[in-house]
Amino acid sequence: MEISRKACIAGIFEHPTRRADDLSVAQLHAEVALGALADAGLSLSDVDGYFCGADAPGLGGFSMAEYIGLGNLRYMDTTETGGSSYLLHVSHAARAIASGQCNVALITMADRPLAAGAGPVLAGVDSSNVPEREFAPPVLVPPVFGYAMVARRHMHEFGTTPEQLAWVKVAASHHAQYNPHAKLRDVLTLEDVMSSPMVADPLRRHDCCVVTDGGGAIVVTRPEIASSLGRPIVNFLGAGEAMKHSHGGRVDLLHSAGVRSAEKAFAEAGISPSDIKYASLYDSFTITVIMQLEDIGFCAKGEGGRFVADGNLISGVGKLPFNTDGGGLCSNHPGNKGGMTKMLEAVRQCRGEAHPAVQVANHDLVLAHGTGGLMSSQHMAGTVILEAA
Amino acid sequence: MAAAQISTQAREFREAAQDGDFLVKACRACGEKHFYPRPHCPVCGSRDVEWHNSSGRGEIYSFTIMTGAKRATAPAVIDLEDGLRLSSVILDADIHQLRIGDPVVVSFDTDAGGVPALAFTTPEADAARAYSQKALASVLRENAKLGSGALSQGIKLVAVIGAGNMGIGIATVFAKSGFPVLLIDQNDKALKIALERIGETLDRDVSRKRLSEADAATIMEAVSTSTEIASVADADLVVEAVWEQMELKKAIFAEVDQYAREDVCLCSNTSTLDIDEIAGATGRPDKVVGLHFFNPAHVMKLLEIVRGAATAPSTLAIATQIGERLGKVPVIVGNAHGFVGNRLMIAREREAARMLLEGALPHQIDGVLTRFGLPMGTFEMQDMSGGIELSYRRRQETGEKNFIIDCLFEAGRLGQKTGKGYYRYEPGKRRPLVDPDVTAIVEEASKAEGIQRRPIDDREIEDRLILPMINEGAKLLEEGIAARPSDIDVAWQYGFGWPSWKGGPMYHADQLGLDVVLSRLNSLHQTFGDRFAPSGLLREMAGAKQSFTGRSFPDAA
Repeated sequence: MEISRKACIAGIFEHPTRRADDLSVAQLHAEVALGALADAGLSLSDVDGYFCGADAPGLGGFSMAEYIGLGNLRYMDTTETGGSSYLLHVSHAARAIASGQCNVALITMADRPLAAGAGPVLAGVDSSNVPEREFAPPVLVPPVFGYAMVARRHMHEFGTTPEQLAWVKVAASHHAQYNPHAKLRDVLTLEDVMSSPMVADPLRRHDCCVVTDGGGAIVVTRPEIASSLGRPIVNFLGAGEAMKHSHGGRVDLLHSAGVRSAEKAFAEAGISPSDIKYASLYDSFTITVIMQLEDIGFCAKGEGGRFVADGNLISGVGKLPFNTDGGGLCSNHPGNKGGMTKMLEAVRQCRGEAHPAVQVANHDLVLAHGTGGLMSSQHMAGTVILEAA
Repeated sequence: MAAAQISTQAREFREAAQDGDFLVKACRACGEKHFYPRPHCPVCGSRDVEWHNSSGRGEIYSFTIMTGAKRATAPAVIDLEDGLRLSSVILDADIHQLRIGDPVVVSFDTDAGGVPALAFTTPEADAARAYSQKALASVLRENAKLGSGALSQGIKLVAVIGAGNMGIGIATVFAKSGFPVLLIDQNDKALKIALERIGETLDRDVSRKRLSEADAATIMEAVSTSTEIASVADADLVVEAVWEQMELKKAIFAEVDQYAREDVCLCSNTSTLDIDEIAGATGRPDKVVGLHFFNPAHVMKLLEIVRGAATAPSTLAIATQIGERLGKVPVIVGNAHGFVGNRLMIAREREAARMLLEGALPHQIDGVLTRFGLPMGTFEMQDMSGGIELSYRRRQETGEKNFIIDCLFEAGRLGQKTGKGYYRYEPGKRRPLVDPDVTAIVEEASKAEGIQRRPIDDREIEDRLILPMINEGAKLLEEGIAARPSDIDVAWQYGFGWPSWKGGPMYHADQLGLDVVLSRLNSLHQTFGDRFAPSGLLREMAGAKQSFTGRSFPDAA
C-alpha cells in the first residue's frame, strides 16, 4: 500500500510548562490534546483514533479516552518504545488513516517527573522485573552511564573529541535563546560546556538533556480533511522503525537501530539524506546526536564528531540545522522522552512557523528521528520524514 | 529481588557463581554462546543448549566512571575471551586508571541477601586483595603467638574513664560486645549526655534492623556510670579516654593505680602521647598499654595496641584478645608520637595544609585523594572528625599560630557538626559543598604568609600527599615502631579506609617501584626541603632493589 502523502499533520501543541507542580498527568494530557485540536481547527468529537504511550496514567488509553472526552474512538494504539514512541505513533497513525481505520488521530504525551521527584525514569515502565535482572550487575546503572560508554568507544574508534560533543550543546543553546519556553536559554560557549562538571566520564552536565515536566500532542488526519482546515499542509512522506538489543552478549556500541529505521523511512519517502533541509534529532545526550547523524546517513560512520564541529548544526550557519527549538538539550525533554518534541519542531519547520531567527529558508523536506530506550543496549529507533505541500 | 521470580537458569547460574564459576550458555545446534542464560538459544531458537564455563577473563571494550558511589564503580562493556560482549560493572578497583583494552576478570559480588551478582575487577586489584588478606592474617597470627585466649577470659567489668566523644564511643563498643561497662566522669551532666548518645546509637541500630529491641535494652542495662574514680575498684580492665594532655592523663593514671585491683591492666586511648611517661605515673608499668581506638570508635576497625618499654607480654596478649573480642583488628605498634596510623596521617595533613597556602583548594586536594581510591579526602575527614577544633585547641596549648585553622575556628567552622568547616553542608546532609568563604580564607592566608599562589597540578598533589606517607612508613620500620610494612598497610586499611584493592601505602610503594619512590622524593626534597628527605631504609632498600612486600613476607618473595 502506498503511504506517502496519504496522511497529514494537521495540528500540534507543546505544553509551555517545564515544571508541573499543580497539574496532574491526566490534566497535562487533556491540555495538550485540546491545544493540538485547536491548532488544527478540529474538536474532540472529530477524533476517532487515539495514540498514547505508558506515560498515560491509570489504565492508559482507557483512562485517557474517558478523561479527555474521546467519545467516538474506533482505533487505539498504545505502543510504548520509550522516547521514540511518538514517532512510531505518527507512522502508525498515517498507516491507520491510509487504510481507512480512522480519520482523525490524536497522539498525546505528558508526564511530570520533576514535580514528582522521580528522576530519569520512564512513567509506567517497571524495570525491576526485566529478565536480565536475575543475572545483572549488583549496581543499578542509570541511562547516562550507558551513553557515556557509547561516547568513550566512539572517541576510541574515531578520534571524536569532548569538544566535538560540546559543539552539539552549543548549537542547541544558540537555538534555545529564541524559545521563550526553553528551560535553558543562555547561549553557551565551548568553554561553558567543557567546564561543566563531569557526570559520567566523558559526559559532562552540559552533555545531558534537561529533565522537565510537560508534554505535547499531534493531530494526524486525511489529506482531504487537512486541506479543508486552512493551515499549512504537512504531508507524511515516509517512516521507519527498528529495534536493536544486546542479543545475549553481542553489545554493539557503534551502531544504533537508526541505521535500519532511517533506511526504511528514506525508501518509503523516495528521497535521500542529502534532500533533508532540517532534522529533529533525539538529543538525550550530545553523543546521541552524533551517532544518529552517522546512522541516518547525514555523514559517514565515525565522521559525526567532525560533522557537528564549528556550528554545522546551527540554523543559518551550518549545513544541517537541528533542533531549532533548543531541543531536549536546552528546551524540553518532558517525561524523559524526547520523541514528541522532536516531531513538534519538525512540523513547525515544515510549516515555516519556527521562530524567524531559526526558520530554515527551504523547508520542503524535514526529518524527525528518535531513539527510545538505551542506545547502549535495548532501544527502538523511529524515523519520520515530512514534506511541505 | 523477589525470590519467587528466580528461574532454574538463574538458580544454577548462582550456584556456580558461589564457587566462582561464570556460566554462559552454548547452543549445540548453531554453536553460538549467549548470556544471560535462557533455556533456548536466542540466536537460532534451538532448545539444545548447554552450560559453558566461561574463563571469566576479558578486556574492557568501553567503560565510564560512577562518581559519588560509595564503592569504586565503573560501568563497563566487557569483551570476554569466549567471544561474548556484555554490559557489567567493574567494582573495587582503581577505576581512574582504567583504559579500553585493559584485562579484567570476573568477580561475583555478593549482595546483602547473599546473592552473587555478576561483576568484574582488574587483576591488579585482585592481587592487592590477596596481599591484603595475607597482611591481615599475619597480624592475627602474630597476636595469637602472644598467648592463649585464657588470659582475657576473666575480664568482665570494663571501666571507661572520660565521657567525651571517644569515651562514649569506646563504652558503646565494649557494651555492644557483651561487656558490662562502668563509665566514669567527674561531670554528672556529661554522663547523662553520654547515656543518651549510647541510647541513640543503639536506637539507630534497631531501626536499621542490626539489633533487636531486646538486645538493645540488655546492652543499655549493662552500662552504669559513676563520678568517682575510686569505683574502678570493681573493674577488671580500665580504659582511659580523657582529653589528650599529659599532666591530666598522668594524674588520672596515678589515681586509678591506687584503686584498681593489682592484676588489672590500665589502658590509655592516647593518640599521640608517650605511653611510658603515662605508665611511669603508676606502680604497675608492666600492666599499662595503649589501646588506641579510631574515631568513630564503634565503626573503625583498627585498634592500635601501643607497647610501652615496660609493657609485659601478658598485658599485650590481654589487649589484643580484648581487641579481637570487640571485633577490632588489633595491631601492635611501638611507642612514638602518632604511633603508626596517625604518624602517616600527620605527614599527609601537614603537606595538604602547606599546599592550601601554595595555591590548592580543599576540594582539589580531596578530589585527588578520592580518585586515588580513598573513601574521603583529608579535609572532608577533618570536617567529619572535628579536626579543626582539635588542631585549634592543641595549638592553644603550644601558642603556635595557623592562619587557616584560626580563621575557620573563629568563624565557627568546626566541621560537619556546625554545618561548615573546610566545606559547607546542607542541613542533615554529609555531602561536602565548595564554599567561596573558605576559598577567601585560604587566599587571605597565602597573602598573610607572603606566599604567591600558583596552580598545583594533580600529579604534584598526589606525590606530595602519598610519598611522605610512604617515607614516614619507612621511618617507622627503621625505628622499630612498626614490625612489618604489612602492619602499616593493615592499619591504614582498617583505620583510615585505604581500600583493600590498593593494598596500603607500603604495598602501593612497591607497585610504583621503590626506585621511583626514591627519585620522586629526592626531587621533592630538592624543591621543597628537608621534610621530603628520604629515609635511610628507603634509600637502602631501593638501592638493593628490595620491596616492602618482600620484607613483610620473605618466604613468599
